[in-house]
Amino acid sequence: MSGVIGPVKRATAARLVKAGIAIPPLAPASLGGSARTEAAEGALANPPGRDAEQELREQKYALDQHAIVATTDVQGTITYVNAKFCAISKYSRDELLGQNHRILNSGHHPKEFFQQMYHTIAGGQVWRGEIRNTAKDGSTYWVDTTVVPFLDANGKPRQYMAIRADISERKQAEERLAGQTEELSRQAAELLRSQMALETQTLMLRSVLDSMEEGLAAADEQGKFIIWNPAALKILGLGATNLPSRDWSAHYGLYLQDMVTPFPADQLPLVRAIRGETTTTQMFVRNPELEHGTWIEVSGSPLKDKNGAVCGGVAAFRDVTQRRAAEQEIRKLNEELEGRVAQRTAQLETANHELEAFTYSVSHDLRAPLRHIGGFSKILSEDFGPGMPAEAQSHLKRIEEGARRMGLLVDELLNLARVGRHDLELRPTRLNLVIDEVVSLLQREAEGRAVDWKIAELPPAQCDPILIKQVFQNVLANALKFTRPRERAVVEIGFRQENGQMAIMVRDNGVGFSMKYSDKLFGVFQRLHRAEDFEGTGIGLATVHRIIHKHGGRVWAEAEVDKGATFYFTLEASKATDIKANEMTGQSAAAGA
Amino acid sequence: MNTNEVDILLVDDSQEDVDLTLHALRAENLANSFFVARDGEEALEFLFCTGPHAGRSFDHPPKLVLLDLKLPKIDGMQVLKRVKSDERTRIIPVVLMTSSKEERDLVSGYNLGANSYIQKPVDFDEFRKMVKLLGMYWLVINRPPLTNGWAPAAKQAQ
Repeated sequence: MSGVIGPVKRATAARLVKAGIAIPPLAPASLGGSARTEAAEGALANPPGRDAEQELREQKYALDQHAIVATTDVQGTITYVNAKFCAISKYSRDELLGQNHRILNSGHHPKEFFQQMYHTIAGGQVWRGEIRNTAKDGSTYWVDTTVVPFLDANGKPRQYMAIRADISERKQAEERLAGQTEELSRQAAELLRSQMALETQTLMLRSVLDSMEEGLAAADEQGKFIIWNPAALKILGLGATNLPSRDWSAHYGLYLQDMVTPFPADQLPLVRAIRGETTTTQMFVRNPELEHGTWIEVSGSPLKDKNGAVCGGVAAFRDVTQRRAAEQEIRKLNEELEGRVAQRTAQLETANHELEAFTYSVSHDLRAPLRHIGGFSKILSEDFGPGMPAEAQSHLKRIEEGARRMGLLVDELLNLARVGRHDLELRPTRLNLVIDEVVSLLQREAEGRAVDWKIAELPPAQCDPILIKQVFQNVLANALKFTRPRERAVVEIGFRQENGQMAIMVRDNGVGFSMKYSDKLFGVFQRLHRAEDFEGTGIGLATVHRIIHKHGGRVWAEAEVDKGATFYFTLEASKATDIKANEMTGQSAAAGA
Repeated sequence: MNTNEVDILLVDDSQEDVDLTLHALRAENLANSFFVARDGEEALEFLFCTGPHAGRSFDHPPKLVLLDLKLPKIDGMQVLKRVKSDERTRIIPVVLMTSSKEERDLVSGYNLGANSYIQKPVDFDEFRKMVKLLGMYWLVINRPPLTNGWAPAAKQAQ
């Protein structure tokens, strides 16, 4: 017996112990002998005895109560199954005996699994493993299996005994657990991923909020601030407040565009945003932190949850103070430009008009005297020539020739007038100095006459002294000329304010003229008096008109026949308060004289 | 001088032009009866028998008006317009005489009913020739309507 037990245990016993299954040292020969017998299982009835067989039977009985037991021959044909085997496989004993174990193969294990098992047991080794089998009804079950080869005298396996325990529940639990664990770790990984994504996004949003130049303030439905970025603090000078929205205008110093009316709380873009409205507006901000005030442009829009319901509002705003200033500057410049264009256009139109009248008049008025000279010379030489000395006739020829040459000169002067332009050189000018110079120039004409000059102290004007001197020369010369019939001539010079401009007035007590013809007064070559009565070219007042218009001023006259005339023209008052009396103006005017 | 028997009304503010014109007319014996008006106002007073000429009659209009364009107070174009727009004076031949070379004067002159438009030449010989032709044509060759040709219409108008 010991010969049999030897090969089984020496090496294998240690392995079995290691696996935690204690096998008592049995007599294998006896075990093999009784394994096939019905009696072995039915040995319950037998009372325990002292002899080894009795003890073996009892142990077998105990084994059958606990384990699923089967034996096969070396070909694998089932030679014995116990009741538990039948119960779990759902096959009857008759159906199993003589069958190969393959009848239970579930296909779960690879071929190699069974090859390895066979290899082990065929080599006389005990094999242990977990196997999934298929029952008769197709259901599967797991068994913890130990296959023990029983050896013959030559050490070859003679039969195999398989002892199995049902571990299906554990296996199912394991599988469930494995599934749950996998699901759990999948969820955990996902959670981690989304958490990281959220963190990244939050960080990104934070840095966007921190770095943007626009102020951004967001509040929830209750008006509690949830975002207040650094730009918002910089622009408004203050941080987020816990005050209710009705106090925001007062707290931050928000005003309407008039810069004094507090911005109505219910109209604030953020408040309207919380109400679900999208708006853009400009407002003025002034608070202790922003003493000079800031103009901001604010856009408000509602914040919505994923269902689209309003859950707060966000206001984005930026400092538009400089932009507004620039816009205002542009507007002002545009207005100035428009005004200047209009002024220039008017000046240009006047100039064109005068040039046209001038051209027209030159062809008429200057040619006439030439015709007279030529005509009378002709008559003279025809009617009286024969009685004249040769020298006189020669003189007449020269007169005719002179008239012809003058005709050419007139044409050339006409061309010159079209080209010649005087650029305005505006400077603060003391008008009284200019007038004094003109009056002294006119003294020769006034010689032998009684002339009262009543000259008021005029404010300094912003004008071209050379041109203004021409104006006074013409107007004062006219005053002298048309007062010639008076025993005592009175010429008054004064000024008055006329729509923010200074209107210079020159009044005389001369013969005057009918206002019926006043529209002709300033036309080139227009005359209201016959040449015999008062000499003149008809250019003087046209020149005055042109000069004043060039200054952007206005000229007009009031008169009545025989009751004197008053001429007015406007000039820009000089803003310079300190004109030194060393008088560039006087010198310039003198140079222009 | 009986202003009711005037052949030529000469309207010119230039005494020189007046003298030169008359000199030329006299040479052709065409200046037997003339009246000189020195501005537009006086010309209108003569033609419409008002002011100093209130005694004149519309029955004896001048046979020719030589009208300068550039005149004091009321210019020649205005005078022409008044004359040609009034039934009583419309038939009077009006010749515009001017130094102007402006095309627009020529056009507006004819538009207003001028009978001729003459540019006074600077050269006296040409001027003389022109005045002679004008005088001969309007005073000798041309046949004016009956002196009272306008009268029935004027009376009807009254």
